[in-house]
Amino acid sequence: MRDLRHSIDLHKRTFLTLGLILVFFWSLLSVEWGTNLFHSGGGVTILQIAYGFFHPDLSPEILNLAITSSWTTLTYAVAGMTIAILIAFVFGIMASGVISAGKMTTLFSMSFFRGLLGFMRAIHELIWAWLFVAAIGLSPFAAILALAIPYGGTLGRIFADIINDVPKEPIEALKSSGASKLQALFYGYLPLAMGDMISYAMYRFECAIRSSAIMSFVGLGGLGYQIHLSLADLEYDEVWTFMFFLIGLVVIIDLWSNLLRKRLVE
Amino acid sequence: MKWKFDFIRFSFLMIFILIIASWMFIINVEKADFFNLFSNKNIFHAKKFLRDLTGIGNKNPAFKDVEAWKNALQLTYKTLVMSIMAIGFAAIGMIITVIPAARNAADSTLTMSNKWYNWILFGVIRCLYIFSRAVPELIWAMIIVFIFKPGILPGAIALALHNFGILGKLCAEVVEDLDLKPIRNLSSSGASTGQILIYGVLPMVTPKFITFILYRWEVIIRTTIVVGFVGAGGLGQQFKLSMSWFHYTEVALLLICYILLVILADLLSEGLRRVFQ
Repeated sequence: MRDLRHSIDLHKRTFLTLGLILVFFWSLLSVEWGTNLFHSGGGVTILQIAYGFFHPDLSPEILNLAITSSWTTLTYAVAGMTIAILIAFVFGIMASGVISAGKMTTLFSMSFFRGLLGFMRAIHELIWAWLFVAAIGLSPFAAILALAIPYGGTLGRIFADIINDVPKEPIEALKSSGASKLQALFYGYLPLAMGDMISYAMYRFECAIRSSAIMSFVGLGGLGYQIHLSLADLEYDEVWTFMFFLIGLVVIIDLWSNLLRKRLVE
Repeated sequence: MKWKFDFIRFSFLMIFILIIASWMFIINVEKADFFNLFSNKNIFHAKKFLRDLTGIGNKNPAFKDVEAWKNALQLTYKTLVMSIMAIGFAAIGMIITVIPAARNAADSTLTMSNKWYNWILFGVIRCLYIFSRAVPELIWAMIIVFIFKPGILPGAIALALHNFGILGKLCAEVVEDLDLKPIRNLSSSGASTGQILIYGVLPMVTPKFITFILYRWEVIIRTTIVVGFVGAGGLGQQFKLSMSWFHYTEVALLLICYILLVILADLLSEGLRRVFQ
């Protein structure tokens, strides 16, 4: 019996890996495989899309439109991120429980704010956008808030973890020399955590660009909106032009944030 | 040393300018008025929307209807299946491409086989990763529904395309960070490239790969509802329909199912990941 348990323990990972693979195969069973899966013109469409990839529409007016919509996408991502960082900063500090006095209040503040942050990020930004549009109508703030809430949730949780992970010795030194909780936060926790916090926020900025592009679904202009329109017109060459601008924007932000992160974390 | 300092300062200056310019643009050109948000009309609409969502004053809200629950749970199940299929496709694509995409495989320190096409393969696959992860799932889905009939398969493929790039990048880094000593040992005792991969690389990378796969699966669960908007089936499609028909209690019911699914997936993946750590 002990031998059996031992060998199960030893092969636990193998069994689980096999189990996961089986679950995947089981999921395939829910699709009826066959030619019926494609639209009747599906094959031709693939060829047209592929043709558009190699011949993107580079006429001046499309390029002009692509540049202005890239700018719109970028501005909304930046605006959403600014509010997300503000939310994350306040909620993250509350969720880390470093400024609340007493055991019960700390526990309450930690679990309440962690739960709140979890709820904010459980719902996808586009669902938030849709709910906001239904509630307050089409306004740029619907898109900005929809971006800010889930990103605030993710960032806030990470900020709280970073603050909880700072080395304890400097904090103890501050406290033993008579610093209050707020002083310990501003002179101890935050300077130690700032590098990591900025670095993670920069990393999420790249994702925010992508999310801001898909806000077109609730009527926000930008690259996603143009892709949507061109697809509806079946102009695949225009689709690819906008796609290349989106990819370029994401890659530039990614490179920049990588360079900055490398220097900040060192 | 001096340049390093300057780069950080330059970046912060850029971020500052970008934030100011973005808000100026949004307020002046896009005409965003923050105080207008709290006008009486908006507050009235927001209140009405919340009342409709919670079903106050509604004679038969969807949460009291057995049929609606059954339907919602069935869609939740479909969404779950779609997410599993998506992560499966993404993982298969990643496993096929990850070895040539690792820098140490390209310069032949990993497998000891020096072929002329190693660097070309490396470049092509890395570009493929960047390309597929730069395009959001939803845009992949919009393109793919032009080819496939609506259902869970196009949604799964769209999700898989985006996550293929992310998984590929994460896992190639795992291969690059491998400890090369056991592999040297194998190759000095005469193992072929295939044997090195199976007996040397595979056992070392599997736990980390599965950790990443589970982590991405959590993210995919959250996104499945979104690809449904463009007709890829599951909770998202029904969400969109109910929204357009103003069946707000149904929307609330679907949201409840969605949040439960996300929480369940988080717990499950956290538990599984603990085993592999």
